[in-house]
Amino acid sequence: MAICTVHTTPSLSMPNTHLNQRQVIFFTSARKNQFFRGQNRAFTVSCSADAKTVVIGLAADSGCGKSTFMRRLTSVFGGAAEPPKGGNPDSNTLISDTTTVICLDDYHSLDRTGRKEKGVTALDPKANDFDLMYEQVKALKEGKAVDKPIYNHVTGLLDPPEVIQPPKILVIEGLHPMFDERVRDLLDFSIYLDISNEVKFAWKIQRDMAERGHSLESIKASIEARKPDFDSFIDPQKKYADAVIEVLPTQLIPGDNEGKVLRVRLIQKEGLKHFSPVYLFDEGSTISWIPCGRKLTCSYPGIKFTYGPETYFSNEVSVLEMDGQFDRLDELIYVESHLSNLSSKFYGEVTQQMLKHSDFPGSNNGTGLFQTIIGLKIRDLYEQIVAERAAATAQAAKV
Amino acid sequence: MAASLSSMTTLSAPRPVRLLNISNPYSSPSHVRLLPCTTSRYTRLVVRSTPSEIANKVSESIKNAEETCADDPKAGECVAAWDEVEELSAAASHARDKNKGKDPLEEYCKDNPETDECRTYED
Repeated sequence: MAICTVHTTPSLSMPNTHLNQRQVIFFTSARKNQFFRGQNRAFTVSCSADAKTVVIGLAADSGCGKSTFMRRLTSVFGGAAEPPKGGNPDSNTLISDTTTVICLDDYHSLDRTGRKEKGVTALDPKANDFDLMYEQVKALKEGKAVDKPIYNHVTGLLDPPEVIQPPKILVIEGLHPMFDERVRDLLDFSIYLDISNEVKFAWKIQRDMAERGHSLESIKASIEARKPDFDSFIDPQKKYADAVIEVLPTQLIPGDNEGKVLRVRLIQKEGLKHFSPVYLFDEGSTISWIPCGRKLTCSYPGIKFTYGPETYFSNEVSVLEMDGQFDRLDELIYVESHLSNLSSKFYGEVTQQMLKHSDFPGSNNGTGLFQTIIGLKIRDLYEQIVAERAAATAQAAKV
Repeated sequence: MAASLSSMTTLSAPRPVRLLNISNPYSSPSHVRLLPCTTSRYTRLVVRSTPSEIANKVSESIKNAEETCADDPKAGECVAAWDEVEELSAAASHARDKNKGKDPLEEYCKDNPETDECRTYED
C-alpha cells in the first residue's frame, strides 16, 4: 500500500541527494502562480510503499545537553537543522533534510499558570498529555502529517499548533519519551543522558551564573526542589533506554571537584536487532587501556579507557568508558583507530565530526565522543531498517 | 542582588570567583577569565547577553520562588516555582546561544539593505 504525501520543496537549487524515495517534482512558473510573486514554487510528491519513519527517543533533564546532542546528531545525517521557516518563531521543532526533532514539552497539558495553580512541575506526568503524544508519534511513524501544539518556553503558554510532515527520521527529545509504555513501543532506538548530581550542579552554575538575579543559593535551591520529581518520574526511564550516556566526575584527579575533567560511560544494551555495541579490542572481554605512552604523549591528566560487559538493571550491557580529555587531534584519531564497531563510513569519520563541532560543549571529552558515536550508530540503524523494508517489499512484490 | 554578575561581558566578576574556575561544557569564554581553553576556536570577545525580556522574567521568577518558598519549602507551589525558574533559565540560555553567532551588522542589513552601511558593490 503506497502512501503519497505532497509537500513544498523549499528550494530546488540544492537538490536533496539524501532522498532515496521515488519523487515527482512539479515545478510551477511564476507567471501562472501570481500568489507566489517572483518565486518559483516547487511541489514534491513522494510516494513510497510503506514509507514508515524511524523514531528515536532522547531523554534527559533540563540543562543536560540534549540540544548539543541534537545538533551533533543532525550533523551526522547532513544538513543543518533549523526551526520551521515562516512559522512560530518560538517553535521548539527543528527540521533538516532527513530529520525532524520534536520537543516533548509541546505535549504539556498544563501551561505555566496551570502548573503553578496545581503545584506540579513539568516533570510530573500529570502536566503532560501522553495520549496526544502517542497518537501523533504513531501518526508520524505511519507517514501522516500532524498538527502539533507548540509550548512557548518564553511566555509559558500553549500556542496554536504547527503542521509537522512525517520525516525519514523523527527524534523526540524531552523529559518523558520513555515514560508511557505505548510511546516506548514506537521507539526504534532510545537514549538517556544520565548526568550525575555533581556534574549537573557544575553545569548549571556555569549556565546560570551570568543571569541577573541568580546566585549560588538560587541555583542550588532550584536543583533541590526539582530532585524529588526527577527521581520519581524521569530517572526510572533509564532502565528502558537502549543506550545510556552517564557523565560522572573524573577519577584521574584525586579530590577534584571542579568538574572540568569528566568520566563518561557509554552503556549499550546487548542483543538489540539493529544495534551492535562499540567495543575495544575484543568484544566481551574486560579491557583497561591508557593510550598515552610511547606512541602518544598526552598532557595531564591523560586519558583512560575501560570496556567490559556488565549488568544494568538486569539487562546485559557493554560499557565503554572514557575518563579524561583530548588535547590534540592526534589523540582523537589514535583513539578512534583502536575502537571497533563504530559504524563509520571511512577512517577518521568520528574525528572529522568532532572537529566540525569543536566549539560545542564536550568536544574534548567523552560526552562529545560518545554522542558522535551514537549518531553514527543511529545512522547505521536507520540504513539497516530501510534496507530491511526494501527487501521485504521486494519479497512481497515477487509473491 | 548585590554582587551579581551583569549579563554583559565583565572581566572583573566580584564574588563567586572560585566557581568560575569550573570550566565545563557550558563555559562561555567571556565568563571564564582564566583561559583554560575549553573552546579551541575563540578569536574575539563575544558579548553574551540574554535578551532583556527573558532576563527580566528570570529574575522575577527567582524572587517569586524565594517568596513562595519562605513559608513552606516542601509545598507543591514552592517546587513548581523553582521549576519555573529552571525553565526560564534554560530558555535564557538557549536565547543566548541563538544570539551568539549573530553579527549585529548583518542583522541590521537584513532589514535595511538600502542604507549606506549595507550597500554592496560588485564589479
